[in-house]
Amino acid sequence: MRPAQLSAAPASLAAGPRRPAWLLALAGLVLLGFVLDIALGPVRIPVLAVVKTLLGQPTDNPAWAFIVREIRLPKALTALAVGSGLAVSGLQMQTLFRNPLAGPSALGLTAGAGLGVAVVMLAGGSVANGFAIRALGLAGSWTLVLAATTGAGLVMALVLALSARVRDNVVLLIVGLMLASVTGAIVSLWQYFSAPEQIQEYLLWTFGSLGGVVGSHLAVLAAVVGVGLVLAFASAKPLNALLLGENYARSMGLTVGRSRTLIIASTSLLAGAITAFCGPIGFVGIAVPHLTRALLRTADHRLLLPGACLVGAALTLACDCVAQLPGSQTSLPLSVVTSLLGAPVVLWVVLRRQNIRSSLT
Amino acid sequence: MPHSLLPTGRAGGVPPFFSFRRSFALAALLLSSLASAGQVAAPRATAPKAATPRVAPPKATAAVRGRTTVDFAKGFTISYVPGGKVVTILSPFEQKTTATRYLLVPRGAARPKGYADAIVIETPLRTLVGLSSMHVALVDFLGAADVLVGLGNLKYASAPRVRQRIAAGKIIEAGQGKELNNEQLIAQHPDLVMATGWPGEGLTRYQTLQAAGVPVMINSEWVESTPLGRAEWVKVVAALLDKEDLVNQKFGQVVREYQRLAALGHRAAKKPRVIVGLPFKDVWHVPDADSYMAQFLRDAGTTYQWDKTKSPQGSLALSFEAVAPVALTADYWLQTGTATTKADIVAQDARYAAFAPFKTGRLYNNNRRTNAQGSNDYWESGAVRPDLLLADLIKILHPELLPTWQLYYYQQVK
Repeated sequence: MRPAQLSAAPASLAAGPRRPAWLLALAGLVLLGFVLDIALGPVRIPVLAVVKTLLGQPTDNPAWAFIVREIRLPKALTALAVGSGLAVSGLQMQTLFRNPLAGPSALGLTAGAGLGVAVVMLAGGSVANGFAIRALGLAGSWTLVLAATTGAGLVMALVLALSARVRDNVVLLIVGLMLASVTGAIVSLWQYFSAPEQIQEYLLWTFGSLGGVVGSHLAVLAAVVGVGLVLAFASAKPLNALLLGENYARSMGLTVGRSRTLIIASTSLLAGAITAFCGPIGFVGIAVPHLTRALLRTADHRLLLPGACLVGAALTLACDCVAQLPGSQTSLPLSVVTSLLGAPVVLWVVLRRQNIRSSLT
Repeated sequence: MPHSLLPTGRAGGVPPFFSFRRSFALAALLLSSLASAGQVAAPRATAPKAATPRVAPPKATAAVRGRTTVDFAKGFTISYVPGGKVVTILSPFEQKTTATRYLLVPRGAARPKGYADAIVIETPLRTLVGLSSMHVALVDFLGAADVLVGLGNLKYASAPRVRQRIAAGKIIEAGQGKELNNEQLIAQHPDLVMATGWPGEGLTRYQTLQAAGVPVMINSEWVESTPLGRAEWVKVVAALLDKEDLVNQKFGQVVREYQRLAALGHRAAKKPRVIVGLPFKDVWHVPDADSYMAQFLRDAGTTYQWDKTKSPQGSLALSFEAVAPVALTADYWLQTGTATTKADIVAQDARYAAFAPFKTGRLYNNNRRTNAQGSNDYWESGAVRPDLLLADLIKILHPELLPTWQLYYYQQVK
């Protein structure tokens, strides 16, 4: 990289005057995506009926009310939480590790959640613990959420404990990747010895889905993501300082250790909760920060954080619209669509703006 | 709800765990086979009598003594040639029909000429290793459970005689797929190893065994599109055991009883609307028009929303939203899968409580005959006793047609 590009990074910390307009436009895009996501689906419902239903008025077909209120609305709200949460946690990880390939799964949290779910799904009946969990009557959706949260939480505790000892962020990144590798291997081993029906259940979970997060689930997810986002927004300044390197940050009077803990906690909450409720949803966390940086042409996290929220939500809503394959009765797994649609978009942006790395380092 | 997920085996040569469809298929067929193998004796012992006695004189047993014909199944043929029999396993769903030929010759007799490509099996079988529980059902149907010396997984067997033999240590666990215990199987050298899988391609997985001189037969009963076609695979085992006369008589009874019940179902004045299976988050897998489950629903006298929708996979992966409108107003909900109580169902997703069958209590699961090991006889003996299964469905959907029938595989979800 040429020195000229290097110097571009600090320069872009200063936000231009037009950036808030961008944010407004993005907010409009999110709104549009939200409306489309509720209006479109396998079952064709007239827009008027959708609006009536949302206003609580009766429509010609009672099934429409069920579909809009119980299926589409919760799913669109989940998409908002998932999109913004993953995007923000990805942005934090990329800045913390100063690595464009980092994402919400970089700390091994997703893998930890997967291990938690595997304990319930694959070990149920064969290992005493799993059996006990089922016997307690916790079967069903909450069991999975609890298991995934426990898994992600354990990995998070481990990462936090290690981060106190490991000063170097690169080492921490490697630690996270190794944790993911180990938990992944344990899950594979479990699958190897499990009955096909159990593997099938687990496989379904690994596809990730915005569906089925309703009622109290949605409330909990929204609350946790909200807390995670608040923590993230609170660390906007430390993130800006970290962009310039830890030493520089320290020289600016930043308590690197505390900021780092805050960032890791926020990411863990976001990625852990989202994976717990929706399963692993790939790509959004890695791609959206790049898209946001390219769109806003800034490295200032005071803008990037809200920007990533909006881009993440808009992208997730758009992908969900496509995943529903309007007009057909089938829907596709969300993470497949996010990757299939998202990768070309990111490629396009990155290739157009070849100095994208400059906004990271 | 595995059976509704059955694919047709069109997937390419991808390892199962990397294909969604395929892992479903694998799960489905293993489960069905794991569970469906042991149980023909039990129905006879304890099954309640059908409303009318089964007709004794076989109708079309104009068959030659010692021979049988294939009337319903599309997945195999049996022909009788000088000096032996030829059993061909077909792949009915592929354009280029893959066929594996087996030449069955009496033990010790000379091999007839002209079948160079065929795998030779000496009959009658003395020992058989069945990797799936469907195989338990196949041999047990013919009262030949004693030839079983190995099973894929000892957990998945329901037939009392097979369980006794397992307890006595007379049946070894041979493992499944990658975990297949080749060394043990080769040392044991059974007369035949019966596996479940995709016709043709499936055999390559068992090259080690075949190289060691242990014949392997791939059973693909799960691709059949009718219940009788699926059950007719007992004739393959009958040919292997030289029990053609017995199978003609016993399978003939099943056919007559099934057809009598189906006639009842078709004549039913009301055709209740049914939904099948349990969704997972966004996806609801339902049987497609060509699945044997759809045929069951037709013969039981129901209105099934996807009765005309075909899919190359054998099941339809529908969006929850596409099924919900039907479920909201359906009359019955069948096969709620892993959810065995109403509380389970709500715990999976509170929205399911809005479905009409949930409110009226017209919810039935096929798990009545699940044993202590967790093996469900529905997938075992149910595969060869479609007559009992259909009677259950008619009893559930049209109780007035079979007033004295006691549910055998199904039970109400409470």
